[in-house]
This record gives sequence, C-alpha cells and structure tokens, in this order.
Amino acid sequence: MEATDIQNPNPSPRILLPSSPPPLWPTIDGPLGLSEEESVSYARRFYKFGFALLPLLWAVNCFYFWPALRHSRSFPRIHHYVLRSAVGFAVFTALLSSWALTFGIGGERLFGHVWDELLMYNLADRIGLTGWS
Amino acid sequence: MAQSPRPRSILETLGEELVRIITPVSICMLLVVILVSVLSSDSSSTVTVNSIATIAYTETTSDSTWDKFVGALLNSLVFVAVVTLVTFVLVLLFYLRCTKFLKAYMGFSAFIVLGFMGGEIALFLIEDFSVPIDCVTFLVVLFNFAVVGVLAVFMSKMPILVTQAYLVVIGMLVAYWFTLLPEWTTWVLLVAMALYDLAAVLLPVGPLRLLVELAISRDEEIPALVYEARPVVASQDPRGRVGQRRVWRERRNESESNGNVGSGLGENGSTGLGDNVTANVEFGNRNDLSLVRAEEGRVPGRGELSAPLLEHITSVQQSGQGDDVSVDSMLLEGIGLGSSGSIKLGLGDFIFYSVLVGRAAMYDFMTVYACYLAIIGGLGVTLILLALYQKALPALPVSIMLGVLFYVLTRLLLEVFVVQCSLNLIMF
Repeated sequence: MEATDIQNPNPSPRILLPSSPPPLWPTIDGPLGLSEEESVSYARRFYKFGFALLPLLWAVNCFYFWPALRHSRSFPRIHHYVLRSAVGFAVFTALLSSWALTFGIGGERLFGHVWDELLMYNLADRIGLTGWS
Repeated sequence: MAQSPRPRSILETLGEELVRIITPVSICMLLVVILVSVLSSDSSSTVTVNSIATIAYTETTSDSTWDKFVGALLNSLVFVAVVTLVTFVLVLLFYLRCTKFLKAYMGFSAFIVLGFMGGEIALFLIEDFSVPIDCVTFLVVLFNFAVVGVLAVFMSKMPILVTQAYLVVIGMLVAYWFTLLPEWTTWVLLVAMALYDLAAVLLPVGPLRLLVELAISRDEEIPALVYEARPVVASQDPRGRVGQRRVWRERRNESESNGNVGSGLGENGSTGLGDNVTANVEFGNRNDLSLVRAEEGRVPGRGELSAPLLEHITSVQQSGQGDDVSVDSMLLEGIGLGSSGSIKLGLGDFIFYSVLVGRAAMYDFMTVYACYLAIIGGLGVTLILLALYQKALPALPVSIMLGVLFYVLTRLLLEVFVVQCSLNLIMF
C-alpha cells in the first residue's frame, strides 16, 4: 500500500489537524471552483469592491476562499487578501451591530425625538412604501 | 495498491442528484408558505396589486362564481399573451446576438427583485413584528444583500452555495408577489401557464423550442436564470488533475477561454470518468444529457444562464401612489441535466410551484401538504419522462395539474372527511 495524499507529507509544524492534507483547491468548491491564478484575481477584486460599503462581499470572500484562510502557507497571495477581508468584515460588523443595538435598545430615552424619525417602519409609513399593507 | 473509495452505485448517485434538486424546491416552497402564513392578515382583499395579471378584471368578493371564473380566464389570457410576446422578443434578441443587453437586463431585474421586492417584504415583516431597526442599518443591509445577489447570479465565480441560495431567494420573492393576486386569477393563471409551457416547448413554432434550437445550433448559452444543482462526483479522485477538472460553470462572456467554449473545459460525466474532455453541448450524448424543459425560457446544455426576469407593473392601489416597480423580467424555466451531470431547473419552475403551495397555504395547511406531495410527485414523473424521451419537455404541466387536482380534492372532499373524523374522535 503506497502512501497516498491522505497522510500529511509536510513535516513542518503547523497548527493543523494531523490528518488533514494540504488543500489543492483554494476555493471552498474544490475542483468545481477556481484555479489558483484566477483565485488571486478574484480575491483581490472582492477585497477592493468590498470597500464600497459591502461587508457582505468580504464575508463571501472569506467563505469562498476558506481553505486559503486556514492554510496560509499553501496560498500566500490569496491569504493576504482574504485575511484583510475577514478583518474588514469583522470591524464593519462590530460597528454596525453596535450602532443598531444602541439604536434599538436605547430607544427614545437616548435619542429623543430623532429616534422616531429614524425608525424604519415610521419612515416607511411616512413615505408610503408599504401603503397597501 | 492505491486505495480507492468504494464505488458508488447508480442508485446512490441518482438519489443524491434528485435530492439535490428537490431540496431547494422544497426550501423555496417552505419559505413562501412561512411568508404567506406570517404576512397574510385575513382575506386577500386587503392586499391586492395592480399588475398585468389583473388588467382585464379585478376580482371582488361580491361577484358570482361564474363572473370570477370568466374574469380570471381573461386575466390569464392577457398574461399568457404578454409572456408569449416577451419570449418571442427574447428569441429575437438572442437571434440578433444581443447577449450583453440581455445579461445587463437580467442583472438589473435581479437587483430590482432583491432590492425593491425584498425590501418591501422586509418592511412588511418589520412592521408586523415592530422591529426597532433604523433606516441606516436597514438600507446598508438591503444594499449589501441586493448587490451581492446581483453579483451571485451574474458572475459565475461565486461560491455555489451562495448562488443557489440567492436563486432560491429570488424565486421566493417573486412567488410571494404572485400570491398577492386574487384567488381565482391565481389558479387559472397557473393552469394557463402549464398549458402555455406545454405548447411553447413541444410545438415546432413554440418560442421556447426556437430558443433551444438556436442555442444548440450556435453552441451558446441562453441568458436565463437557472438553478443548477451541485454535480455529483461518482468516484472521487483526491489528487485531481488541474487540466481536467470539472468546470461547473462557464460564462461565455467571462470565461477565459472565450472563443473556444470547449477548450480548457474538462467534462466529467456523471460516472466520474476522469479523462473525458467532451465537446460542447451534445444532446443525446451519454455523458451530456442536456435534457431541457422549459417553462418560459429554456436552459439547454451546460453553463450558467442568466435570464432576464419578467415582472409586472405593481402599483399601490389604495393610497394611489405612483411607486411603480415596472420591471419586466422574464423568468426562464427549464429542467435539464447539465453536461456535468448535474440537474438544472429553471427559476420559473421554482416560482410557479411555490405560488401553488403559497396559495394553498392561504386556505389551510392540509392543502399545503397535499399540494406539496403532488408537486414533488409531479417533479419525479417529469424527471422520469426526461430520462425517457431525452428531448425538450415542459416542466410545469404535470406538477401543476397534479397540484391543482389535489388542491381541489383536498378542499372539497378530504377536509370535510378529516374534520368530521377529528370531531368525532375517530382519528387524528
């Protein structure tokens, strides 16, 4: 029985499960996804577009290139972008959720009459977005 | 001796393929049922939309049954006529190779569906549950959701799961919108669309058939919104071969190997034969069963299709506002086996199945169960026919007819029976 790729041939100390092989495909889709060269350009593009107030794109970036995020040594270039996307997503989510929670929990006590104006369903009523509901 | 995984039987691979297409259909139906039961207050008269489907006749509860039926018939005829017209326009545009326009239109309509209709439904939910969310957060989240959705259906290089999820969400939103139509109109419309599907796909002059034949003869993809299940790899090759990996999607305008669709494309048949580099769409090829069924559009062969969505002009009736979401997008539907062995189902099928189940949910949950089983059974029958005939077959008729039949039978006969049994403590 010859050694297959199942056993980890790389003896360097890594924080990995001892039985997980180095991944071949940088995307989470495996062989159905992108090759490595395309992955770099897509990772870069997702990262750049995420700055247009699109943290979800950063999250998709991290999800898509999850193997690259975990195994940083196999895909150094992709890992560079994906790591920044992950950081960006975490920061943006923290900011947004803290604002949303402050708004929701603080309520009128904290904001005064501005709360009523910013509240979404009041706004919708005023503009008449859901006029037929 | 190299270790190889236990070869999977054809029953397993077939079963897994079926499950991978039935799951999203079921999820879409479930979501629509949940939305309908959460959001519908009482009768349908409170939420009516003016659209192409109600242009001929607006149903009121005071009309007689015959009037309602005739009105619904007129509505459906108008709707089917509009759909036929738009499909012919689509065929014409495809014939004239205006693919960029079609794709842009599809992206635009996906944005409208996700952004505006998704936003409206989210607003309904927010108002129902009085969620204290502010408009900044809401807009940011909605914007993200819509833009990433457009990218997911537009670009082929997104995670498969994300694309599938967004397609299901688009189907759910459009289906919910359709359930807002008056009751008789909805049912007659469903039957009319099933008949239209039958005609458009099987008749030699049908627009969908023309579309398919055009696509085949040119070896191109049709721009259409299609749900493609993840292909099942029968035998896993852990090492993989870069040159021969299965490309799940290829976009004609976006793939690197642009002019030559077949090159750089390693096709694995559903049996997982590693070194098969098949040519393009070859109908009837054992590895490449591009069996397609279309509803309002067609999805042949492999590749991803981006379809323009056809929607109707909605306007707020009571408050008389002019907020029109007048996006015409045609939903192309179709079921087929992609060249990589994965099953593809057009989005229109999702939508009309979900409309049927959603409408059934407006009456009672018993009808939901009956209609769900009918639709899944119909889908199975359709797949069998697909494998049998190996040509373009319409996807809607069997399921819709069974669904309508089961709805009527349940509502008229089964419910009475079950209720009486329960009241007399015989069963349930």
